[in-house]
Amino acid sequence: MLLLKMAFRNIFRQRRRTIFTSITIIFGVALAAFSIGWADGTYNNIINLFTKGWLGHIQIHYKDCLDKPSLYKTIENYNQIGEKIGKIKGVESWTPRIFSAGLASLKDKTSGVRIIGIDPLREDQTTSFHKKIVKGNYFKDGVKNQVLLGKGLANILHAKIGDKIVLVSQGADGSIANDFFKVVGFVSTDDEMYDRNSFYIPLKDTQEFLSLGNNVHEIAVTVKNVKKVKEISKKIAEIVHNPDLTVSPWQEFAKDFYKAMKADKGGMWISLFVIILVVAVGVLNTVLMAVLERLREYGLLKALGTRPKDIILLVLYETNIIAFFSIIIGSLIALAVNYYFSIHGIHLSQSFTYGGMNFSEIMTEINLRSFTIPAVTVLLTASIVGFFPALKAAKTDPVKSLRFH
Amino acid sequence: MSEKKLIIKTENLKKDYKEDGVVVHAIRGIDLTVEEGEFSAIVGPSGCGKTTLLNLISGLDTPDEGKVWLSGKLISDMSGKELSDFRRDNIGFIFQAYNLIPVLTVEENIEYIMLLQGVPKEERHKRVLEILDAVKLSGLENRRPTQLSGGQQQRVAIARAMVSNPKIILADEPTANLDSKTGSELLDMMAELNEKTGMTFLFSTHDKMVMERAKRVIVLKDGQIIDKSEIDIV
Ligand SMILES: Nc1ncnc2c1ncn2[C@@H]1O[C@H](COP(=O)(O)OP(=O)(O)O)[C@@H](O)[C@H]1O
Ligand SMILES: [Mg+2]
Repeated sequence: MLLLKMAFRNIFRQRRRTIFTSITIIFGVALAAFSIGWADGTYNNIINLFTKGWLGHIQIHYKDCLDKPSLYKTIENYNQIGEKIGKIKGVESWTPRIFSAGLASLKDKTSGVRIIGIDPLREDQTTSFHKKIVKGNYFKDGVKNQVLLGKGLANILHAKIGDKIVLVSQGADGSIANDFFKVVGFVSTDDEMYDRNSFYIPLKDTQEFLSLGNNVHEIAVTVKNVKKVKEISKKIAEIVHNPDLTVSPWQEFAKDFYKAMKADKGGMWISLFVIILVVAVGVLNTVLMAVLERLREYGLLKALGTRPKDIILLVLYETNIIAFFSIIIGSLIALAVNYYFSIHGIHLSQSFTYGGMNFSEIMTEINLRSFTIPAVTVLLTASIVGFFPALKAAKTDPVKSLRFH
Repeated sequence: MSEKKLIIKTENLKKDYKEDGVVVHAIRGIDLTVEEGEFSAIVGPSGCGKTTLLNLISGLDTPDEGKVWLSGKLISDMSGKELSDFRRDNIGFIFQAYNLIPVLTVEENIEYIMLLQGVPKEERHKRVLEILDAVKLSGLENRRPTQLSGGQQQRVAIARAMVSNPKIILADEPTANLDSKTGSELLDMMAELNEKTGMTFLFSTHDKMVMERAKRVIVLKDGQIIDKSEIDIV
């Protein structure tokens, strides 16, 4: 108790030094908490945005269709599979898709297109597809051969709402497929490249057009908690129980992106380490100075019968009290900053596009670990760093330190 | 005098210091006995070994050779912890300066040792008030050392040394940093406490006026007691 009291008073004795140390720690903690919140936020935002945007969190394909796509690599009975998946705990939604290539012409304009067959209802539930429509309307029920054009493609074809476009492709039965499709709207996904050749048709029409029967190429699944993607992927594979189908979590179907993200996280640890180093040097400097100035006092304490371990405690209390309060202040500042940016987001000076999503703003994430990691690290650092001056204090020889000249 | 008990006894005490490769023979063979209740002064010029001798007697410093008995116990036989407890319970020490812990109040400084001894709170407070009265500092218990004069600080040091009723009070030039009037007042107070409590006081000084108040003077020169110069002033 008395030691604690002495530690407190010692802290107030060297006000300037205490303030200096505190500021170092406050700054370090706040910065660390912010960078973790920001890194986690980036990670989650991006995963969420790009997976929810189009790709989904988990994709199911026929064998290696993902790497070597082909019209013939299809999933049969997608509805049954989908229903099973929909019942798995943690799964949010699923949607089937068909992909192929074709040639679209309108009057004198012709362009190669990517045919994308989507289930109007499921696609909208899974990726909020209707929000991507910038002009016109979403597919209407019971109307045959409607098409939504990527914005870029619409420009290339000089298409207007209501125009009828001729689409030519090859059917799965080897026949030539051609038909008219009526433009009902334009779609913008922020990925201009993608929008320059996207030709969205309702699933049923696509199946008919390509003679695919009831088959699809892909089932995209979204989950409620992104962190459980791998777990849920495994469960899906188990339940679907079909060796011909490949279940890939986003880490697999977006490998390059995943690697980039991981590298980025490594960067976060490096910056955290640098912050810790700064705090450590700051604490060591001030504690060591304080101890060296007070060797006479420690000598006196020892001469009075204080045990060395209590002197170590006294010094450690001092560093940790400063660290403790600085951590609280630093965390509060970081909480305020992280809270602000979790709502308003941070605008990136250079936006980037991935998987059909354009990222120009990152929301920070407020999670416990952005505060516990810096707090624990700083407390540990302060204790470790403070231990050496503490040991020096405890080892003070009273005979020498109390000698009066 | 002879029926009284020996409380301090040293035998052939020797202590060398090495500084920058030069060996200083600080204490060169001291045989000293002090009886219970004495009020004695070790005198001699600066550098003659007074501080070293007192540190050796108190067990704060260890001799290169020779032995120290306190109340009949050989302190070199004790373990570090034993010695530190023994010192805490049996010796009150007053240093020349820097006696007080700056961040503690007068009361906290005085009760520090009792706290280490595990004396209960009410008892500690009672004894602090008593001893403050004895050193005439009543009412100053909540002051910090920096708010006291030099003489008051040394009186707090005396109070702290005496509060746990040790058998021996060792004081190393307790008046060296005080003006002569304050110094002699302090000495008178120590003498009075010696009379009243019967505690043994052994202090060092190079001040004539302080010497004169001692009942026995031990003259130290170059780390040795000068023979036959043990003048009984009384
Ligand atoms: N820790 C030490 N290191 C080196 N020399 C010392 C040390 N302590 C004392 N001495 C030397 O020992 C001698 C006696 O010192 P001291 O006991 O302090 O004398 P006094 O207290 O009578 O002035 C002096 O010459 C002093 O320089
Ligand atoms: Mg001295």
